Formats: sequence, C-alpha cells, structure tokens
Amino acid sequence: FPSRSQKPDFSVLVPKNVPAFAQTIKEQKVVVDELSNLKKNRKVYRQQPNSNIFFLVDRTEALSQCKNTLDQLKKAHQELENSEKTKVKK
Amino acid sequence: MEAPGGASPLSPALVGRLRQEHEKVVTTCQEKIQHWKKVESDYEVLQERLRTLPDKLSYDIMVPFGPLAFMPGKLVNTNEVTVLLGDNWFSKCSAKQAVELVEHRKKYVRKAVDDLQKVMKNFESRVEFTEDLQKMSDAAGDFVDIREEIKDDSIETKGKYRTAHKPHSKPKVSDAFEVDFLANGRDTKSVGRFQSEEELWARLEELERQEEILGELDRMPDTVETNGEDTTSSEEEKEDKRMDLNGTYRVEDCITQGNFQKEVTNSDLFVRHVNGSTYYHSDDEDDTDVGDSSVPTIFFSHTVEPKRVRINTGKNTTLKFSEKKEEAKRKRKNSNGNGHGHATPELPNIKTPADIYRVFVDVVNGEYVPRKSILKSRSRENSVCSDTSENSAAEFDDRRGVQRSISCDEATQSDNSEGILEEEEEVGQQQLPKKLPASSGTTEAFSGTVIEKEPLSPSLIPHPVIAHPVLPTILEQKSEEVLSKASEETTKRISKFKAARMQQTN
Repeated sequence: FPSRSQKPDFSVLVPKNVPAFAQTIKEQKVVVDELSNLKKNRKVYRQQPNSNIFFLVDRTEALSQCKNTLDQLKKAHQELENSEKTKVKK
Repeated sequence: MEAPGGASPLSPALVGRLRQEHEKVVTTCQEKIQHWKKVESDYEVLQERLRTLPDKLSYDIMVPFGPLAFMPGKLVNTNEVTVLLGDNWFSKCSAKQAVELVEHRKKYVRKAVDDLQKVMKNFESRVEFTEDLQKMSDAAGDFVDIREEIKDDSIETKGKYRTAHKPHSKPKVSDAFEVDFLANGRDTKSVGRFQSEEELWARLEELERQEEILGELDRMPDTVETNGEDTTSSEEEKEDKRMDLNGTYRVEDCITQGNFQKEVTNSDLFVRHVNGSTYYHSDDEDDTDVGDSSVPTIFFSHTVEPKRVRINTGKNTTLKFSEKKEEAKRKRKNSNGNGHGHATPELPNIKTPADIYRVFVDVVNGEYVPRKSILKSRSRENSVCSDTSENSAAEFDDRRGVQRSISCDEATQSDNSEGILEEEEEVGQQQLPKKLPASSGTTEAFSGTVIEKEPLSPSLIPHPVIAHPVLPTILEQKSEEVLSKASEETTKRISKFKAARMQQTN
C-alpha cells in the first residue's frame, strides 16, 4: 500500500518550439495535480533519468519541485511566445 | 556569374540538387547536435545524482525487475560506483571519482557538439550561397548578366601611339606652345598659342620680317638677323669671331642633346623665330662644336628661354641651344658690323642677362678661362632666369639658379670638356640676342631683382642689374666680364643696352 510511484518528468530540457512547450506544460500540470491530491501516507518515487531506478522522495518536496518546474516552463513558454510575436511583427 | 542561358555548368536543376544536399547535411548536423545535447544533459543529471548520492548512507528505492516489475529495496554503499569503461569493462570507484569521469565525458560531448555546430554553420552558408546561385541562374532572377561584345574595331586605341621624342626629333606641331620668345620678337602679345602649324609658321614669318626690319634699324642685332642669312654661315662666322675673341665655344649643342632639352627647345624657338626656323640643333651643334674646339670654355646651354615654353612648331617642338647660339652669333656679327670692337657686337647681343654673361665672358675676356664658379653661377642664373618668368626670375633665390646652373654646367662639361667655355659664351651670345628683343619689347627679362653673387663686380654689376634685373647670374657674368675687360666695353655696352631698353620701353 505504501508505495505509489510517480514519474515526475524531470526534463530540465526546455523545449524549443511552442507545441512542445504546451505538451510539457500539460504534463507538468498533471503531475502537480496528482501530487497535490495524494494521501499523506503515499510514497513517491522519482525515476533516475536514463535508468530504471526509482528513488524514494518526499511527497511535499516532489510537489514543490514540480510546481517550480511548472512555473519555469510557463515563464519560458511566455518568453518564447513573445519572441515569436516580435519576429512575426518584424 | 553564370550565364542564365545554360551554357554555364550551373543549371537550375543541379543548383537545386546541390542546395538540397547542403540542406541535408545541415539537418543531419542539427539532429546530431540534439542527440549530443541530450547525452550531455543525461550526464549532467547523472553527475548531479552522483554528487548527492554519498550524502546518505542508504536510499529507499524501487529496484527494477526487468522492464515492468519493481520491488522495494534499499540502496546501500552509496559511495561505491561501478563505471562502465566500455566493451563491458567496469571499474569500481567512489562517487567523487565517478563525477570526475562524468566530467571528462562531458568535455568530449561538448567538443563533439561544437564541431557539429561548426559544420552546420558552414553548410548553412553554403546553402545560402546555393540559394544565391539559384537566383542568379534563374533568368528572371534578381541578377542580370551584362555583357558587351567586343568588335575588332573597338580595340583600336584612340589616336596614335605615343612615342617619346628623341632629343633631336622634331617637335610635334600639335603641342601647345607659349610664346615667351615672341615677346622677344616684339610681337609677343599676339603670340598666344598657335593652334596649327600654319598659324605658327605665319607667325614665324612675321617675326622674321620684323627682325629684318629691326636689323635694318640696327637696334636689335639679335632679331635683326633675317631669315635669308644662313645660320650656318653666320654661326661659323660667329664662331670664328668668338674663337678669335674669346675662344669660347658653344656648349649649347651638347646641352641640348643631353640634359637641357627644355632649354634647348626654348633656344630653338628663338632661333626659329629669328632665322625662320630653318635650322635644327644638330646642324648648329656640329658647326659650333667644330669651331669652338680650340678654346677650353665651359658653355651652358642654360635656357636662354625667358620661360620654359613648349613650342608646337611643326617640326621641332623644342628649341635647341644651337639655334640660340646661331642667333647669338648673328647678333655678334651684327654688332661687329655695327661697331667694330668687341664691345659693339657684344652690346647688341646682351639683351638678356644670360647673353650678357656669355658675350662678356667670352668676348671680353678673350681668355678662355673656365671659371667654374663664375660660369656655373652665371650659366645657372641665366638658365634659371630664362626658365622662370623673367620678372619672377629676378626674385628667385640665387641658390636655385646656382643649382640649376650647376647641373647644366656639369652636363655641359661632361659632354664637352674643352669646348664648354666657348659654348657657354656662344650660348650666352645667342641667348643675349634672343633675350634682348624680349627685353627690348618687354623689360621682363631683367625686370626682376638681380642677385649679386660675386662681390668683385660691383661697379659693373649695377648697370647690368639695372638693365636686366631678371637675370642675376648674368649680372655676375657681366660683372666678371666687365671686371676683366670691360671697364672699357662694359660701360659702353651698358649704355647701349640701357639706351636700347629705354628706346624699347619708350
């Protein structure tokens, strides 16, 4: 019972095009929502990228991290859109 | 530039293919770069994990059983890592060492990424170039190939090929020529430039007529010489006289041939005007050289020319000193005929300072004394004065005159070591008559200030200076001449000159 594995997409890689951004942001939103709705006794594991090992992490920490990444993604997405708009204007 | 037509190897299809290939390379490079960046990011994550792994003694993990199954477990020995070296060889090392290994691999990855980026840029530029090529290759492109077919006729050069004149070659008529000399002939005002040979010759004829008239009047011995008189004969006579009197020879010929073509040209102009332009330097030179050989005098062909003028006479563009010499000889003859005594012939001849120098030195001294300093200075000054504008010449520094005269002297000396003095004398005589008309017509030649180089001839100098301010060197020569012989003749001469000038001016 204790374990429920979450696979937070730890991709720090910032997608370069807008649709990829939307995809990653969508995933990140799902993760945050899932984590926020977890029961307190649930265990959260994070997969070591490029491997098959899952490390146990604290649920609240995972939630905060996911929220931070989500914010970053949103910011990056905003900047990208602005830059593209300016390019179009030019 | 390719021709739009297609004869060029760049056909649109080939260019398009080339561009496609370049673009392929670019895209593959981009993919590779993406891959390597992914690897780099993986390594960074791994590195981060390895750094934090030793922080704890144990980690609760899910241990994978195959791709699908997990079982809870504990990760212990967090500071002990086995690193894949390659080919399934592993080495056991600490987390910290593992981090270093990861760092080393990251460098390699970065290098690969950089290389790929360079390649990509290179091919991107090639793509741009191929795009330009496509534009150019398209007939409707932005670029148009401009071609002009060259016909054989078009290759012809404008006019005739220019060839350098030989020293004795006849001057082209076409050359514009300023008539400073004409001023000597008294009608200088009208002279201007003769555009055509006909005009020039007509002018010359007029001048000759005038000269004849003048000769009848006996005012201008120089100009007096008529065309009918043979320069050769007159020269010979003059030469003989000179030989007798001074023994000086005319260096003009040599000078004309060698360094002083310009001066020579001027002298030639004078001669022509005076004589009708029948004689050329070569003839004069021969005559003068033969006659002068006896006296070791240094003659400067220094330009008697009031100014350096390029005369576009049909035959001889440049006047030669020989002509001047002839003129001087004629003058001397005339003068001799008028007043028997050296003074009389010389006086008429000395219209220009240069003439004065030559005449006085040669005739008056009679001593074939090659006074280098005097001759040089005089000849130089004369040349300078003659070259430069008459009025301005007086103002010119003695130095310049000296330098020029020196160069002339040297040249003359080199050419004719023995006959230099004689030649100078002759030249001076010639120049004098030439200048005399000018002075008579216009006081320009001597109008300038006279520079006294030699203190010896103060008494004599003032007269020449006054008479011919333009020619400082002449003054010196005059002074010397006067000093040597002249007290007798010079005074008379000066008076005559002054009188002639006064008459002219009046």
